[in-house]
Amino acid sequence: MEKQPVIQIKNLTKIYRDFWGRKKVRALNSLSLEVKKGEVFGLLGPNGSGKTTTMKLLLGLLFPTEGEINVLGKPASDVSKNEWIGYLPEESYLYRFLNAEETLDFYGRLFDMSAQQRKERANQLIEKVGLQNARKRQLKEYSKGMTRRIGLAQALINDPDLVLLDEPTSGLDPLGSRDMKDLIVKLRDEGKSVVMCSHLLADVQDVCDRIAILYAGELKELGSVEDLLKEQHETELLTSKLSPEAVIDIEAVLAKHNAKLLRHGHPTNSLEDLFLKTVQKSQERPGQRYVPTGSEKT
Amino acid sequence: MTFDHAPFLFGPALLHWVLVFGCFAGIVFSVSVLIALGVYGASGPTAVMGRVWQGLHDFLGISPRRIWAISLLTIKEAVRRKALFVFVVFASLVMFAGWFLESDLRADLQVKNAVSFALTTISWLTLPVVLLLSCWGLPEDIRLRSIHTIVTKPVRRNEIVMGRILGFSIVASLIVSMMGVVGYVWIRRQVPNNAELICRVPVYGELSFLDREGNLTDKGVNTGDIWEFRSYVEGGTRSSAVYKFPMDKVTDNVRFESRFEAFRTHKGRIGQSLLVRYVLVNPTKGLRVPLGSFEVAEFGLNEKDVDRQISFFDEDKNDNRTVDLFDDVVDQNTLTVEVQCLDAGQYLGMARPDMFIRMPDRSFVVGYFKAVVGVLLLSIFLISIGVTSSTFVKGPVSILLTFTVLLVGQGFREFMLKLITGEQKGGGPIESWYRLITHMNDTLQLPDNFGVKLMQSIDNLFMGGLWLVQHLIPDLSYFVMSPYVANGFDVPWSTAMAKCIAMTVGYLVPCLLVGYYSLTLRELEAK
Repeated sequence: MEKQPVIQIKNLTKIYRDFWGRKKVRALNSLSLEVKKGEVFGLLGPNGSGKTTTMKLLLGLLFPTEGEINVLGKPASDVSKNEWIGYLPEESYLYRFLNAEETLDFYGRLFDMSAQQRKERANQLIEKVGLQNARKRQLKEYSKGMTRRIGLAQALINDPDLVLLDEPTSGLDPLGSRDMKDLIVKLRDEGKSVVMCSHLLADVQDVCDRIAILYAGELKELGSVEDLLKEQHETELLTSKLSPEAVIDIEAVLAKHNAKLLRHGHPTNSLEDLFLKTVQKSQERPGQRYVPTGSEKT
Repeated sequence: MTFDHAPFLFGPALLHWVLVFGCFAGIVFSVSVLIALGVYGASGPTAVMGRVWQGLHDFLGISPRRIWAISLLTIKEAVRRKALFVFVVFASLVMFAGWFLESDLRADLQVKNAVSFALTTISWLTLPVVLLLSCWGLPEDIRLRSIHTIVTKPVRRNEIVMGRILGFSIVASLIVSMMGVVGYVWIRRQVPNNAELICRVPVYGELSFLDREGNLTDKGVNTGDIWEFRSYVEGGTRSSAVYKFPMDKVTDNVRFESRFEAFRTHKGRIGQSLLVRYVLVNPTKGLRVPLGSFEVAEFGLNEKDVDRQISFFDEDKNDNRTVDLFDDVVDQNTLTVEVQCLDAGQYLGMARPDMFIRMPDRSFVVGYFKAVVGVLLLSIFLISIGVTSSTFVKGPVSILLTFTVLLVGQGFREFMLKLITGEQKGGGPIESWYRLITHMNDTLQLPDNFGVKLMQSIDNLFMGGLWLVQHLIPDLSYFVMSPYVANGFDVPWSTAMAKCIAMTVGYLVPCLLVGYYSLTLRELEAK
């Protein structure tokens, strides 16, 4: 069954004008796309491609020059839609003079939550984003990663159906980045829809179901990550370690089927995997250190 | 400072407000429809109506909890930005102020100085703080994009404006209350032993005059003073000033207090002041009760106590009589008093507030804190203007705009009125420049040619703008209530407090509307 769209954008155009109403930049040009319920949707593109503009148009922070936007069945200008939306801005725009608890309490009040609900939800979220030890510190004392975490917590304060994340992993260390990605996947598993825009393609590839690639305000690609990345004219096999003779035999078999072995060698892990594995080991055995081998000692 | 403000009539004031507000709203709506027609074509008026409908919906759907959340945020922001530090400045000032206030003055003048100093300091320290806070809050939120985290929640734009105004008003209340209490304690300690803090409650009457033949007139004699505040009665004639005081309550005695001004045409009796007499009159019964004459204290206070039972010599009946003040003299809840000067060839000047009936005093603390509330109301008024202007201009411009409102409202309205009515010679801005450059002073007639007519037409446009500004900015001098208290008077509800409260609320409502539409119609991006 076709999933219900949570975001519908039709022929969206945004032109930034100067004080005198003269055209300055065409940030978006006839963008049309849909985001379905329960999927993680990635907006990709280089700087100035219109990702953040799209996000702000969805939130009603900017007004479209042309076109229509529907979010959760309501126009983007309708404030009531925000009841079910969570938004993590690109940078920390939170109030730096508040501490974590006060921040979450404040945003909870904006959703008309009772004191009891606010307290419970704040405790849950502070734990979820790992800020238990910094809950009483003012945000101005936070590192960038901690600020992203509290930013995420405020975005989730209302247990939203649709989460909009602008560069969610920027400023996070690989551990934090992994946690953020895990969380995004968890949100999807809970049936929530997530729209994220990011420069970090690996992150997008890790978590997104579908992506849109924008360039100069125009939609260039749209589809599922798998479909877009799949090389239809190549086949990939992964075997246990082969001897050189076995490789020659395989080449012969392939030649029989009019195919060619393009590349062979040992598969490599991603740097992120290596980093995470090292950190995990260090946590398990704190005393263990790296000892250089004889050749490295020179 | 005169204490002779017209009493505030709520009904007519409300009607006037509704008329002005309705006219402005109608003009803004019509202009918006015309602009929308030009920009969006036939769908324009529908879009405008949609905005009006949305506005109505947003105002009906406000959430007190969200407004309170934004207010709390505003309070925390102000406190953590050390706004309350201003209290320390105040405390330091009052700690050492006693050294610099003259202590060899008359006791009542020392009290006046101390009260004026405390209340003026509260006002001068509070207003800049609220001006800066209210004008800077929203633009900073927009610049730092913190507002993105608020407007992406189910928060209506009017809730942001209301929350901000409420929050800053609470901060102002905190500052003013703390300063008020400390100021009160300081005044108590400053009062010399031979003085007391009083809070008189005056009842003013209507004033008319009788000329030397005894005919009723609006004004007395002008003795050549340009300032026509006081009119004079001629001594030794039938000329007198007639005060009609409202008398609703029956008391055992009545105290008249007055300050008259003498104008002498000859030296008179050396070492003696002018002789003055009050005559209580019941016009319906034709009863005239002369009270004993007394020497007027020039530049000083005359106090005259009248008992309820008054014995006097009735010249018409040539007999001693006793009358009851309330049963015989007071006529239709009005006590009529004629003030006569008994010295022939001398004149006695008076204005409406120069004589009043002194009712039982109130506690000084009541009058003092009413004046403190006056400072608070002015702060709230400025906060409303500051927050509203900051929804459409940046912080520095908003400060300038709000400060201009304060400046014009407290001191330049009269001057602007003179410019508009032409009472102030020299013409509009262009004509003034023309006269300056061509060395033509304001008494010289300008030539009758096209250039001059064009110049004056453009000046008329400026004057139209000035007229609008003069009418839009209220008279903020009403909020300054310290002279009442410093001079030992209570701050009257009808002529001062009610007027200021009505003014604050009257401006708050349109400010909320302007602020709401300004935030709704603009893209909240820092540019």
